[in-house]
Amino acid sequence: MGESESENEAPKVKLRPIVRLGMFLISHSHLLSVVCCTAGVLTLLLLPLLAKNTYISENALMPGSANPMLSSQEVSEANGLVKDLTSLDLKRMASGIESQRLIAQYMSNLGAEVSFQKFYPQSNQFHPLHFFSSPDSATIRENISCSSYGLNTVGIIRAPRGDGKEAIVLVTPYNSEKIGLGEALSLGIAYSVFSLLTRVTWLAKDIIWVVADSKYGEYAAVDAWLRDYYIPVFSGLGIQNAEMCHGLEENTIRERNMRDGFKRAGTMAAALVIKVADRSEQFEDSLSIYAEASNGQMPNLDLINIVNYLAVHRQGLRIKVEKMWSLLNCKWLKILGEILESLGHLAKNLNPQWKFGIPAADYVEGTATLTSSLYYQALGIPTGPHGAFRDYQVDAVTLEISSRVSSNNKGRQNDFLLRGGRLIEGVIRSVNNLLEKFHQSFFLYLLTSPTSLYAHANNLDPSFEKNESNHPASAADELGITLRSWKWLYAAKKVLVVHLWGAVVLLLPYFICQIPNCTPTTSFVVWVLLSIFSLLILFWILGSPFSYVYASQPQQREWALLKSVTISAAFIGLCLMSVINFATAEIGALLMVPMCLMAHPLKLDVKSRKLRNFSRVACNLALGFIGFPPTAFLVFKGVFEGFDGISVGDFWNWLESIWAWSSATYLYIGMIHLPCWILCIHVILHPC
Amino acid sequence: MVLHCYSHFLAHSLPKELKGNLIIFCADVASAMFIRATGRNLQIAYGQSLKFLDLVKLSEKSDILPSGDIAALVYLWNPFTIVACVGLSTSPVENLAIILSLYGACRRIAPLAAFGWVMATHLSLYPVILIIPMILLLGYGPDTPPRKLFLQRKYVEVGDTPSNDRCQQGEAVDQPELPYVFSWRPVIHFLFWTSLWLVYVLVLCGVSVKQYGGLWELFKRTYGFMLTVQDLSPNMGVLWYFFAEVFDFFRNFFLIVFHGNILFMILPLAIRLKHRPFFLAFVYIVISSMLKSYPSVGDSALYLGLLGLFVNELADMKFSFFLFCGYIGVSLLSPVMHNLWIWRGTGNANFYFATAMAYACLQIILVVESVSAMLNHDRKLRKLSATKVLDGKT
Repeated sequence: MGESESENEAPKVKLRPIVRLGMFLISHSHLLSVVCCTAGVLTLLLLPLLAKNTYISENALMPGSANPMLSSQEVSEANGLVKDLTSLDLKRMASGIESQRLIAQYMSNLGAEVSFQKFYPQSNQFHPLHFFSSPDSATIRENISCSSYGLNTVGIIRAPRGDGKEAIVLVTPYNSEKIGLGEALSLGIAYSVFSLLTRVTWLAKDIIWVVADSKYGEYAAVDAWLRDYYIPVFSGLGIQNAEMCHGLEENTIRERNMRDGFKRAGTMAAALVIKVADRSEQFEDSLSIYAEASNGQMPNLDLINIVNYLAVHRQGLRIKVEKMWSLLNCKWLKILGEILESLGHLAKNLNPQWKFGIPAADYVEGTATLTSSLYYQALGIPTGPHGAFRDYQVDAVTLEISSRVSSNNKGRQNDFLLRGGRLIEGVIRSVNNLLEKFHQSFFLYLLTSPTSLYAHANNLDPSFEKNESNHPASAADELGITLRSWKWLYAAKKVLVVHLWGAVVLLLPYFICQIPNCTPTTSFVVWVLLSIFSLLILFWILGSPFSYVYASQPQQREWALLKSVTISAAFIGLCLMSVINFATAEIGALLMVPMCLMAHPLKLDVKSRKLRNFSRVACNLALGFIGFPPTAFLVFKGVFEGFDGISVGDFWNWLESIWAWSSATYLYIGMIHLPCWILCIHVILHPC
Repeated sequence: MVLHCYSHFLAHSLPKELKGNLIIFCADVASAMFIRATGRNLQIAYGQSLKFLDLVKLSEKSDILPSGDIAALVYLWNPFTIVACVGLSTSPVENLAIILSLYGACRRIAPLAAFGWVMATHLSLYPVILIIPMILLLGYGPDTPPRKLFLQRKYVEVGDTPSNDRCQQGEAVDQPELPYVFSWRPVIHFLFWTSLWLVYVLVLCGVSVKQYGGLWELFKRTYGFMLTVQDLSPNMGVLWYFFAEVFDFFRNFFLIVFHGNILFMILPLAIRLKHRPFFLAFVYIVISSMLKSYPSVGDSALYLGLLGLFVNELADMKFSFFLFCGYIGVSLLSPVMHNLWIWRGTGNANFYFATAMAYACLQIILVVESVSAMLNHDRKLRKLSATKVLDGKT
């Protein structure tokens, strides 16, 4: 759109070079934006190549510098616990309290302080601005049924050398109603480490072992415990509720004592969630690391690095990071990888210093990991119970260990427990060395493989080229007071109205959820209908009276103004989102930037019958189709998982899950993406 | 049970508090009313000066926008005003005092102007520099094009032979007294009333703080607190970061430099813009809200509202769209950055300070562009009247 604008400026005097450069860029804004967009997409595809190897920045951590002290004695004790737990499960006593009592017994035998924490499952509530609020205990639950509650068991070891101001947390989620072998094993690993730590002399931070009751979900249990830990309730209310439900089961005095006080240690330096996968691996023992917390926040990179270093170099575990599996068999990705590989070879032949080529298989794998990392960060849903810690500024990761064979082979199980225990011990020892908070400077990163990352610091999307419509210089010798330089105001008003509508659309699901017996598909349809209805109402109320104002003005430039205001709105929105959740902004920019930049009225394009214009029409239609959030979701889902069995209800379910976790992505879709899409469609269909 | 009731009471009273204090709400509405009245006044003055310069036809052809209404609406609907009101900040009251003094000066009501100025100075100290535009405003009357133009015009009219344009001259005779003489009477009145109010406020303050250490202690705790930037908790300005970084033995020096910055600009601006005292006041307000030690969104609400008063003159302001987007972007980004730094722990002070710097830059651009747009407007008027004069002579 820039070409026509620079026509009316005939520079007679020789302008300064910077001005000429600016005018040159504006006059070729279309080409420039295409180039920038392509460059952005290419950079994204090149990321696996550009990833750097990680390093541990904090010297005090010293991972693996001490020999592991965990011996077979602790392991055999842990084996006892595992056996007791599984036999309890076999007996089908069904009462969760039995297993908790057993664990508490084991803990207190080690000399740890044991306490129980009771919590009630919370229904999912809508906190649209959860991101801005600190976690609070304000929810006064009114109708709690006494029968359904979870019970966390917490054991604390006081450090002999510490001042009790800091603590390291171990979390083992388990379902008290049905204990699987994996859960029992994870308890066993934690127990072996715990029993070692009661004896060692080097401990400088308290150790808290939380056995989280995952009856109502792992996250809920950990979250409830953290909330009680950090935000004590001083009113008598909590105790009252707790008291009301007592008496259901008989209490020995000792247990009662344990239950009364909620025990605390210092502030948490780090937290490790230990899980053992029930599925078994084919080749070797492996370890999966989950790190994404709510809104794509990652823990400090040093924590992941320690775990990675110890697992690979000390315990010989294979590290796995989540991958987008369907991408592994992708044809074009393989071809691209091969091209890049051969390019790398070529570059190496030219200059041996250039080493950027990686094997095609590595490239494909890196891309799959990157995509998955991007997707899970963009969702904004925590990938495990470690997410709860992030809300309290505690760095936490979930370690899921899976063994090669699931057999009940005794020796094999011992070995597994020993390796897992030594890994945890090493990590705790490193964190124990830490004198202050973690302070590696990477906060925003994507993992392309366990040992490399891509930091975002230098990757702000270059694809934004604002094509501000420069206003034709009007005759200066007339005192016509029409707001010449302010004529974007009407377009700005329109954009504002559409964004308001986006907020309305966001709130609608809250009401639709209240309708009983609704299948996802019908709720989605209701939602769409209500949205369209509200859009019409909003335009009727706000749009029409003012539309006369610019109806009188020359209309040919109106769509250009609208487009530039839309682009700046999208720019602000993406900037904002890139700070909150970079992955969302990245994916959003991929969809939205080309759409916003391409938008051009169909009518003008069809009038001038040229090939270039028709290709633009096709691009516009395709981008407009893919830019609509539901279609984008369904298309991507179809591409990755196959098109059979896809329905619009899936989108509703997906959205509901984001909504329930109060992710900022939900706000992004409603407040930024959807309004910009509507505005682009408006520009495309503009009657000019 | 009592605790239970108390928690319920808290839960109920919270939204009530959020709605804002009634006084603050009233202050905002009153400010808007005064802005509107001032805008009317300025508009009349603008129309008169156009008439005198014989540009009536042009001014009628494209009607003058009701700047007072626009400014009042901008002030009331500005998100910054709403946030300041909801946040129970005291800045609406300070803004009311400033607007009151400007209104009084515009209407040449000396006691009101003096009262507003004394109160505004008492509340936030920085409006003390507004005394210069207020004296100019009282002396010369509201904003006019440069005085040279009027003199030129008059000279042309006197020197002209009657054969020229009769009706034009007839109009000129009907004109009220030309607004380019400096009248001392209202200024003397103003100074008298100022000293009266000053003594009054000081006596009242002295009586009320007698048992806490007297007036000197009051000055030290209020003005001293502002001038020495003791509170370094993050705000929208740039001084907190700077003084958190600076070495202690340079502290006094930089305190003088930063506050001197405001004072340095007073005189040159006053000389250049003396024919537009109200606009001068606006520029002073922007500069002081940019460089003051504890700025808040309430300050920007004030100057953005006042900006609406010059909607006719600033129609050709450059970068208006950029400024608009910048203000929106910064006001959305800075809470997020603050949250990332303070609550999430995933950012650091530099993140938030970056938005504070962007905000300061936006304000600088706003000042520079509005001043240059105003000067361009004056230039345009001169050109037009010169062509008129030439037309008249030929």
